[in-house]
Amino acid sequence: MATAQHPSAPTLRPGVQPLRAGQGYTFLLRKLHSLLGIVPIGAFLLEHLLSNFEALKGPAAYGAQVKFLNSLPLVRVLEWTFIFLPILYHGLYGVYIWLRGKSNIVYYPWAGNWMYTAQRYTGLIAILYIGQHVLRQRFMGISLPENPGAAFAKVQHELANPWMLAVYIIAMIAICWHFSYGIWLFAAKWGITPGETARKRFGYACAVFGILIAVMGMASIWAFVGPNYKNTPDIVPLSLTLPTTHQPGLSV
Amino acid sequence: MATKTVRFEIKRQASPDAPAYWENFELEWRPGMNVVSAMMEIAANPVTADGRPTTPITYDSNCLEEICGSCAMRINGKAKMACSALVDNLEQPIRVEPLSKFPLVRDLQVDRSVLFENLMRVKAWVPVDGTYDLGSGPRVYPQQQEANYPLSNCISCTCCMEVCPQFNEGTNFVGAATIAQVKLFNNHPTGNVFKEDRLRALAGDGGVQECGFAQNCVEACPKQIPLTNAISDIARDVTIQKVKDFLRG
Repeated sequence: MATAQHPSAPTLRPGVQPLRAGQGYTFLLRKLHSLLGIVPIGAFLLEHLLSNFEALKGPAAYGAQVKFLNSLPLVRVLEWTFIFLPILYHGLYGVYIWLRGKSNIVYYPWAGNWMYTAQRYTGLIAILYIGQHVLRQRFMGISLPENPGAAFAKVQHELANPWMLAVYIIAMIAICWHFSYGIWLFAAKWGITPGETARKRFGYACAVFGILIAVMGMASIWAFVGPNYKNTPDIVPLSLTLPTTHQPGLSV
Repeated sequence: MATKTVRFEIKRQASPDAPAYWENFELEWRPGMNVVSAMMEIAANPVTADGRPTTPITYDSNCLEEICGSCAMRINGKAKMACSALVDNLEQPIRVEPLSKFPLVRDLQVDRSVLFENLMRVKAWVPVDGTYDLGSGPRVYPQQQEANYPLSNCISCTCCMEVCPQFNEGTNFVGAATIAQVKLFNNHPTGNVFKEDRLRALAGDGGVQECGFAQNCVEACPKQIPLTNAISDIARDVTIQKVKDFLRG
């Protein structure tokens, strides 16, 4: 970057270089990173947490939710365009942002600085976790798009390993933290909350929201490891679980 | 009766390429003593705590009342103005180092011209130069004055840049001070003729997008300038400007 100077720029001294006024495209890349964190990634996270919550109603309801999601039109296109590619970009560019920052929490242990650092660590946990989660749950083992009835058992087997359970719990907290502080950062950095008081109030709102989604996530994990649905069969027959009051004409 | 003394550890470096080393100094305590008055004493009588004569220390200072912005340095690890850093409020020995993000000149003196370069690149001025009398400017209402006054307090000390985790050679981030000055001059009824230029400039590499909102700037600012508010406002204005430019083609 230091080599690409404006032609009219004078011979430059060492150290931090002046603003490259109006040049380059980091603005676009950085804003895209910021926006993708809210839509679609944040929206998808909410969808995922809500879908997970179905697990509290049991293996059949959870399987039905997986079936519903996989019955969406152009679902594979949606999956790549609104989930995989945005997360990949947000994650990789996020690591790049982290590498270019220079943490000074040792000298300036202030609240905002801690959150700045926490946003980087929680992001790293998120990308590592998501990598293995997508690999093991989406692309390895029994294929859930074809066998939605196997969803509950697949997750239950995964969480039967106490190490994996710990990974899921840590990642759940880290991701909920990253998303809720990410919303706060988005509002601050896009000029939605330009006032000190507005940022403070919105901070409380984001904290409440973050705790709420983390608790929801924990409850879903509990559905898989708790006593209610122990030893779920590998594939739950979903057709039997359709509501008997099913109205004709409304079926998908 | 033993006199009360103040102990200093000062980071010395003879030239940009010379090795850095620490020297200890001990001064007699005086009421109301601040770091810059101690620096003056040490420069006037450069003898270390163990009685060895040394070279006079070099540092920037001018007004001695937190108005000129010259004497920013790291005091006990934190960037602050040496003139308003009262010795009685500091833990001893008081460690004094030059700012770390700017090219070193000698001892505590650094080259902060990147800030002035940045201010030029965002046209942080009101354009009133001309070949004939332009007459009186537009009226600035008291409400506007109230809003702009805090921003006009900037003393270009660069503390906000020093404490910013994003201000470094990797990002070449412009820093909070320049962004706040963009807000100040965009708010000015004559200065706002350059509003679009300034916003476009700040969308360049190292622009407002590099802010990570760690909010150290606003904590460190000796003049309590609402820097995070300015960054938030200007980031929105820059985004809107870029969208407008994109749609207008």
